[in-house]
Amino acid sequence: MRIGVCIKQVPDTDSQLRIADSGRGIDDSDLNWVISSCDLCALEEALLLAEAELARGEERPELVVFSLGPARVEEALRKALALGADRAVHLADEALQGGDALADGRALAAAVAKEHCDLVLTGAQSDDIGQAATPAVIAEILGFPYAWLVMAVELDSGKRSLRVVRELEAGMNEVLRLDLPALLAIQSGINKPRFASLRGTLQARKKPLRHEDRRGLEVDAARVGAAGAGFETESVTLPPAGAGGVMIEGVSAETAAEELIAHLEREAVL
Amino acid sequence: MEGAGGGPGTQEVRACGRALGGNCRVALLDEEHLGPYAPGLYAEALRALITDGDGEDPAAPLVVLLPHTYQSAEYAPRLAVRLDAAYIASVSAATIDDAGRVRFRRSILQARLRAEVRPRKRTVVATVQIGAFGGTDPAASPDAVVKVGRPADIEEHEEREVLGREAAGGGGVDLAGAERIVTAGRGVGGSDEVSVAAELAVALDAELGASRPVVDNGWLPREHQVGSSGHIVAPNLYLALGVSGSIQHLMGMSGSRIIVAINKDPEAPIFSVAHYGIVADLHEVAPVLTRLLEARRSS
Repeated sequence: MRIGVCIKQVPDTDSQLRIADSGRGIDDSDLNWVISSCDLCALEEALLLAEAELARGEERPELVVFSLGPARVEEALRKALALGADRAVHLADEALQGGDALADGRALAAAVAKEHCDLVLTGAQSDDIGQAATPAVIAEILGFPYAWLVMAVELDSGKRSLRVVRELEAGMNEVLRLDLPALLAIQSGINKPRFASLRGTLQARKKPLRHEDRRGLEVDAARVGAAGAGFETESVTLPPAGAGGVMIEGVSAETAAEELIAHLEREAVL
Repeated sequence: MEGAGGGPGTQEVRACGRALGGNCRVALLDEEHLGPYAPGLYAEALRALITDGDGEDPAAPLVVLLPHTYQSAEYAPRLAVRLDAAYIASVSAATIDDAGRVRFRRSILQARLRAEVRPRKRTVVATVQIGAFGGTDPAASPDAVVKVGRPADIEEHEEREVLGREAAGGGGVDLAGAERIVTAGRGVGGSDEVSVAAELAVALDAELGASRPVVDNGWLPREHQVGSSGHIVAPNLYLALGVSGSIQHLMGMSGSRIIVAINKDPEAPIFSVAHYGIVADLHEVAPVLTRLLEARRSS
């Protein structure tokens, strides 16, 4: 049994974001890069499923982690290996870069198919572009049953089926059964991702990490990377600050609290 | 142009379709005509309807709009693959210029920035953010509505079975009916520090809410969660403590009458919907606020 986990490296949204001179994206010269939060939950869930299989006396599934992106992405893959993944596949080829969810999904689907994964986990939505589309595109191309916003997973490897809880709106969940091979898009909050141990970090350096390129994946050059993107970003701007609201700043906590109470009394909400 | 929708978000989809002008068709997908929801089935039924195309201009842009709900945003990307269309998710504005070029606005980097994007394909599948495009008259210019039926030749066999539905959390928190809500965000810092929000809630006679990161970290149980996946609330007073304001959170509370935000980051998106904002460390301001409100009550 092999579990694939697709992760994306994204700018740390806690870091200061500056708009690039082109006005079409953010200045990436001085950013902290991290694994997107839902993808980290997907990796943790894969580790938990593998540990549960082992505890049941089954063979531990092999965990293969995939990521598409430039050279910096190797750091994210090494971190995934340090956390417990067994192997990593880096879609580093220049011809695969600059795509949107559809282009990236096509390349990742080809990489996952080549590794014959029985189950693929990925985050429900990336912390940067946040289209929440890449997992659905991979599932569509591979013809895998798919569930988005997954909040719980139980694997029955004998029956090759999954029991999955999926989040709906307004505090409701849906319980589903999916047959393997399948793809699950994991929602944040399903688990608490572990931290890498020093031993894990040392071991990660020796674990296999291979590069994959467009030719090796046998994907059409016009359908992946920047050439395969379905839309382009014309401009990126800061949202308008304050929708005409009253801002209280640069005063002491005492003064700020007094001013706010005075406003709320006037609004008759106290 | 074509609008597709049904159920929640239908108004937003229609309003977005009107913003793009053109010739709007509305398709309703319901279980009565189509059978129980399954992502592959719904994507295929829409694909069949759209590629049917009866007599439309093959050069004009074709925009398929769906509401960005947890159901339609699950299968919309699969429809885009099947139509070889561009896919643009959770749009909050749409325009078309004289040359017929369509543009959409959407938030990126967790609502810290917004992007104007232009499709590079004739066919576009876009989902419309719930709560955007508000205030349209539902009775205005009734569009022709098509009820989407099950494609005759469908062999879509979905290896996915619905076993049931269940409530995500326990009870005991009445957020939907609350007059006042104090919400703890990630900025409170930890489970031990949630008390700063809880004490302010008591002083205000308010219910205690939580943003998603607070619930995901286990600082408060899920039944406190405000946002599209938790409770949609509209109290008289909504006070957000250390909440940055993701789109999902804003969708859950932006209908509140008076919104107050306390956050030390002046660029936090929550300030874009706040009527009153305090840019400061909540751990300094909230205890003072609690003390003054308690004194006010007892006087």
